[in-house]
Amino acid sequence: MITDAMAMRVRGVARTYRDRTQTVTALEGTDMDVPEGRFVTIVGPSACGKSTLLNLFCGLDKPDAGSIETPALGSGELLGRVGYMPQQDLLMPWRTVTDNAAVGLECLGCDREQARQRAREHMARFGLEGFELSYPGQLSGGMRQRVAMLRTFLCGRRINLLDEPFGKLDAMTRASMQTWLLDYWQENRCTIVFVTHDIDEALFLSDVVHLMSPRPGRILRSLEVDVARPRKYGEVVTSVHFNELKACLLESLGRSP
Amino acid sequence: MRSGIWPPLALGAGLIAVWEIYVRLAGIDALLLPPPSAVVRYLAENAAVLASNGAATLSELLLGFSIGVVIGLSLGILMQIWRWFREAAYPWLVATQMVPIPAVAPILVLWFGFTIVPKAATVALMSFFPVAVNTVDGLSSLNPELVRLLRTFGAGPWKVMRMAAFPAALPRIFSGVRVAMALSVVGAVVGEWVGSTHGLGYLMLHFENRGETAGLFATVAVLTVMGIILFFLVGWVEDWAISWRRHLKETL
Repeated sequence: MITDAMAMRVRGVARTYRDRTQTVTALEGTDMDVPEGRFVTIVGPSACGKSTLLNLFCGLDKPDAGSIETPALGSGELLGRVGYMPQQDLLMPWRTVTDNAAVGLECLGCDREQARQRAREHMARFGLEGFELSYPGQLSGGMRQRVAMLRTFLCGRRINLLDEPFGKLDAMTRASMQTWLLDYWQENRCTIVFVTHDIDEALFLSDVVHLMSPRPGRILRSLEVDVARPRKYGEVVTSVHFNELKACLLESLGRSP
Repeated sequence: MRSGIWPPLALGAGLIAVWEIYVRLAGIDALLLPPPSAVVRYLAENAAVLASNGAATLSELLLGFSIGVVIGLSLGILMQIWRWFREAAYPWLVATQMVPIPAVAPILVLWFGFTIVPKAATVALMSFFPVAVNTVDGLSSLNPELVRLLRTFGAGPWKVMRMAAFPAALPRIFSGVRVAMALSVVGAVVGEWVGSTHGLGYLMLHFENRGETAGLFATVAVLTVMGIILFFLVGWVEDWAISWRRHLKETL
């Protein structure tokens, strides 16, 4: 069992969207623990409320019922205090790579030149060296994603939410990005809540995987991934234990109504 | 616009040559249609007069255009940040464009006399509208996901406006400014027609009344060249302000 301090404690969170024509229950009685400094993944089928959950975690949206406690951050408004990386990279085409990466720091009130300097210091680590003055339109998909990730991580938040960051990448780029992310996380420990619909990705990256049911979303099963770190992609995803865990999750998913 | 200056010049030269030959061969009365050579002669002989009147028109135009752009931008931003104002003001802004300018201009002269003010006001009245409409459209077309992202970084509405909405709207805003510039040329001349003692519009009326068709053509030529140069100046400022657009289509 994980006994660390909790970064986030989610109890009975529900969220329903209503408009004139319909009522959609996106989340229903969701409980979840996010231990501090761990890599936690929420995995589930499309439209199961994963993104809704992240919106609640970063304070962009409020739950109808239930509570989200963040012992790591203390109480108060979540918006502006939890790191968030959306599915789309949302890079600004009028800003260079450096200036895009600096956007978060600038919003936090950092002086523009200082923010740029901080961004430049991280270019090499994010594989963007030599592209500091390029524009997003000149970058490949993987590089754009790394700029977006740098933008989020530069803010230095204790909790970072990543919403399907590799969803649009091809399989090979995706595998190398996953390895890169784990390496980076190993060096710069923070709490990560990662959302994906890819079970392999979830198991390879995480300490804990929370499996969500189709809509209305709730946690079907939480699984601890007891695979030693550092993990090597080829070794881990082909191991027997990995496949046992995967079978476990698939079975839980198959049993859901 | 980028294919160089030679194709339009060559086409223009060709048309002028056809015009010259036609007028000469057909023996058209110079009062009806003067040959280009006569217009050029007129231009050369009266360069000083045309220049001083052109300068007058140019200053009215630039003053009115600047006021129009500032008002258009301000209205656009206000309409974007204040929804109530947008709904209340939009029909009235449209109404200002439905009133025929030649009907409004005499009233402006009545109010402000034979000064630069009624001309600049006419120009401003015509040029603010495309800027306002394009500003509000450009600002409101911002990706809402980007707004949400910036909010998670702790950005307030003004930061969102400054960092995202305004730069994203710039291409649209410049489309409006370019139209405004083209309208400004018309606005300045109409303003002068109604009541003035100098300016290119005044010269046009003057030549028309005296039957100096070559002078009229020369004045129109000066106005046209001035308008084209101003229009491309706006384009040049636009290219400078939105230099990132050049990198949009490139990929690795």
